[in-house]
Amino acid sequence: MSEDGLDPVIHVPARLRIVVTLASLPDGDDLSFTRLQDLIGLTPGNLITHLRKLEDAGYVQTERNGSGTTARTSVALTHGGRAALDNYTTVVRQLLDSASPG
Amino acid sequence: MNAQAGMRGGAGEAAGMDVQSAAAIMREAHQRARRELRARRPVLFAAWGLVVLIGYGAMWLSVRGQHPFHGPTVPAVVTLVALFLVAAVLTAWLVDRASTGVGGPSVLQRGSFVLALAAGGFALSIFTHVVANAGADRPLVTLIGAAAPLLVVGVVFVASCAVNGMLDWPRLALGLWLLAVAAEGGWAGPVTYLAVIALAGGGGILLMAAIEPRMRRS
Repeated sequence: MSEDGLDPVIHVPARLRIVVTLASLPDGDDLSFTRLQDLIGLTPGNLITHLRKLEDAGYVQTERNGSGTTARTSVALTHGGRAALDNYTTVVRQLLDSASPG
Repeated sequence: MNAQAGMRGGAGEAAGMDVQSAAAIMREAHQRARRELRARRPVLFAAWGLVVLIGYGAMWLSVRGQHPFHGPTVPAVVTLVALFLVAAVLTAWLVDRASTGVGGPSVLQRGSFVLALAAGGFALSIFTHVVANAGADRPLVTLIGAAAPLLVVGVVFVASCAVNGMLDWPRLALGLWLLAVAAEGGWAGPVTYLAVIALAGGGGILLMAAIEPRMRRS
């Protein structure tokens, strides 16, 4: 955690978008790499880099099925990732509340 | 920092992202994901509401004043079937667009939902023909044939209203309403029944199209 309690793995715009997008799916569902890329608007290389960091933290899980032209890489938020986002959201709300006048 | 600014940073760590920016990014990403990854139910409800309102309305107009009663005319039935096909194609397109790239349990849930609607509708349409073939008179056949789609959709909606551990209130409310219209409307007799379904059934679905976003937010 950073000083203000915000998870540094999530507290990066691209990774925050990735985690929020995956969290909008029902629990247990996954999203193909290409659809995620389309929704986030990153190059494949950048998306892979961010996914690797999230995967290292245990927040997402990637799985490759098939081979050749039928290959599909899917990305899913783990329970840990969902809990981390919930915690991050709580901290953001608290910080916004404490910053608001009155 | 604006929400897009961090995106242009590619894989680089966007040091110094403030809390307001983080909240804006979360809000925007959540709204976009909901918009892109979910079939637009108000649009679907509006399409099917119009099918029921216009289709059943056309059938009612075709039987109004018939003496003796011999059932909806062919042009009226063709109108309903044509509207049904248009709405079915629109539904398939919207659902396919939203679910592209999505995998997991919800795909199976959606498949079983569609299968239940298709199998129920098919079984009841056959049963309606069986009843007609057994010598039932036209008013009875019209009552059963008119009620069948509402009964199937109502039962399937109520049976599938618990999704991912949460109650889907719009689906439950609409399912119960369609069952009530199908069951109670029949007391009005075969001619008025078609008008009841058009107005109460179709109107109910259109009303749900209007209030569904608010019900889901609350």
